[in-house]
Amino acid sequence: MDKTAESIKSKFLELGVDIPLEDIVERLDKLVTKFKVPLDEARRSVITYFLKENNLDRNAFFGGQSTTPDSRSTPDVKLNGIDEGGKWVNIKAKVLQLWDSSHESVSQVGIIGDETATIKFIKWSRDTIPDVEEGKSYYFKNVVSNEWNGRFEITLNKNTVVEEIDEDIEVISSPMAGAGDGQPAPIVNVADIAEDGKWVSIRAKVSQLWDNSHESISQVGLVGDSTGTIKFIKWTSAELPDLTEGSSYLFNNVVAQEWNEKFSVTLNKNSSIEELDEDIEVASSSIIFAGAMVDVQSGSGLIKRCPECKRALTKGACMEHGKVDGTYDLRIKAVLDDGNTAQESILKRELAEQISGITLDDAISMAADALDQGVVLDQMRLKLLGKYFTVTGSKVDRYILVDSIEPQDEMDMEMLDELIADAEMI
Amino acid sequence: MSGYVREVSRRVFAQEFRESNLTFKDGDDQYSPQYLLTPTGAKVNRLFIVGTLIEKEDIGTDSEYWRGRVSDPTGSFMIYAGQYQPEAAQALAECETPAFVAIVGKPSTYTNAEGTVFTSVRPESISIVDVATRDLWVADAARRTLERVKDLDNMDSNVVKAKEHYNTDKDHYSSMIREALRSLKEDL
Ligand SMILES: [Zn+2]
Repeated sequence: MDKTAESIKSKFLELGVDIPLEDIVERLDKLVTKFKVPLDEARRSVITYFLKENNLDRNAFFGGQSTTPDSRSTPDVKLNGIDEGGKWVNIKAKVLQLWDSSHESVSQVGIIGDETATIKFIKWSRDTIPDVEEGKSYYFKNVVSNEWNGRFEITLNKNTVVEEIDEDIEVISSPMAGAGDGQPAPIVNVADIAEDGKWVSIRAKVSQLWDNSHESISQVGLVGDSTGTIKFIKWTSAELPDLTEGSSYLFNNVVAQEWNEKFSVTLNKNSSIEELDEDIEVASSSIIFAGAMVDVQSGSGLIKRCPECKRALTKGACMEHGKVDGTYDLRIKAVLDDGNTAQESILKRELAEQISGITLDDAISMAADALDQGVVLDQMRLKLLGKYFTVTGSKVDRYILVDSIEPQDEMDMEMLDELIADAEMI
Repeated sequence: MSGYVREVSRRVFAQEFRESNLTFKDGDDQYSPQYLLTPTGAKVNRLFIVGTLIEKEDIGTDSEYWRGRVSDPTGSFMIYAGQYQPEAAQALAECETPAFVAIVGKPSTYTNAEGTVFTSVRPESISIVDVATRDLWVADAARRTLERVKDLDNMDSNVVKAKEHYNTDKDHYSSMIREALRSLKEDL
């Protein structure tokens, strides 16, 4: 068993993760001794556990080689030669795009290219590899190929060596490279966005702007056209003008990105935005949910927002703009629960005022009297918890962004009779 | 990436809750959530109750420790709130009895020397509601319980486990549901 644990440890080391041997032994031992799991099965289970813990792809592990490669034995390949996951390769390529990463574990992510192809790359924060720069060419030694949903990407790891090279690598001309050359990517329907890393242009309306707490993100929300809606992220580094909710735009050269099987588009330095005169009709993605309000989460009630970027302030400070004189707002982050699903829902000021009966002005004076913003949340909890509501809105990630909310305060007698009839039949 | 999924608040009548005594952990480390499996196969880590608070008492010695009894059409729930449930303890301290209350809480079990298991609820929140909300809850709990009773014939692992442990009598619970629903009609 110790041998198995050691081999698991050394495999993870190759991927740049140092897991204490005793952690592996303990997990393995519990499965094998206490739960009578065959060693092979236990090994798989332990590996899966630590892969998940460390956000690693299975291919990287199971496809990887059993010894740490040195770059002399790792083959130099062209990007179009990457056709399976879990291979150690050396690559000469140019960094075409760096995307800002909203995930702490990722230090750099983007696109590199050579004369044969372009490919997504990921550099993890845990590996101390110097940052690469856009437009420069590098020799990437000992990187690992990964297959993800039928597409390939490369991962830099602990054994990776990155050397800048003088040579300016020529890059295959493709929509991806074209975007940097000022050639707009083709206009597509929102519903047709289905390829990770693809450059597209869309004509869409900003249907929602959300709160965001990442300083690298200037705006985040939902855009839509007649075919559907999609999340968008506008990076601060893109230095693009602010979008207004309800306005329609032509978004040139945005990048489709997939995360957890959901697509979003990111607006970066090569993107441009033109406001349109027309009002683009957005496909309705409205859903209805009815349940009891079982929680009003922290971050609800009276909050302050940064006057510049509208982010909710934390302890009087904006993630990006620091200490600012915030403007007051009301919102409710509620959990509605129907007994089968716990549904997080976000209510903006008007709706928060409507159901709590507390206006923004009321809230401000309540907070002033109590010298505490928290009294507003307390009042809202008292008023709302345990009651039944029906909301309509759009489902985004795990939230419903609520458009309307109605308290349910009367028994539907027809429904009750049906329920009784149903109960009589068993 | 957040793997956190909030536990759903299950709907269970007091009678079924009282007749439950099987707890288990889903997973094998100390952070694995604990569940109470009820006779109809509800896997309960959190529950939502609306009923009538009929008794309350501070049974604490050093610090406040509140016990309350909340009834629904089928029986009553015992609830306990102390220093680790400050909001709920305060709500119990301040409220009058009887009162319609809505409670979100976690199931808890206690086994006495004779091996009898007692179930109770550790409230996360207690709020005062009106009679309409109470009636809506009875219908709500009846619907979810009815769904589970109908599913007693399927091979879902929780159902299988529940039937093995409790030897669940379908008629017992379907008549409980019918009585609870009829009580709603009688009141009107
Ligand atoms: Zn700001």
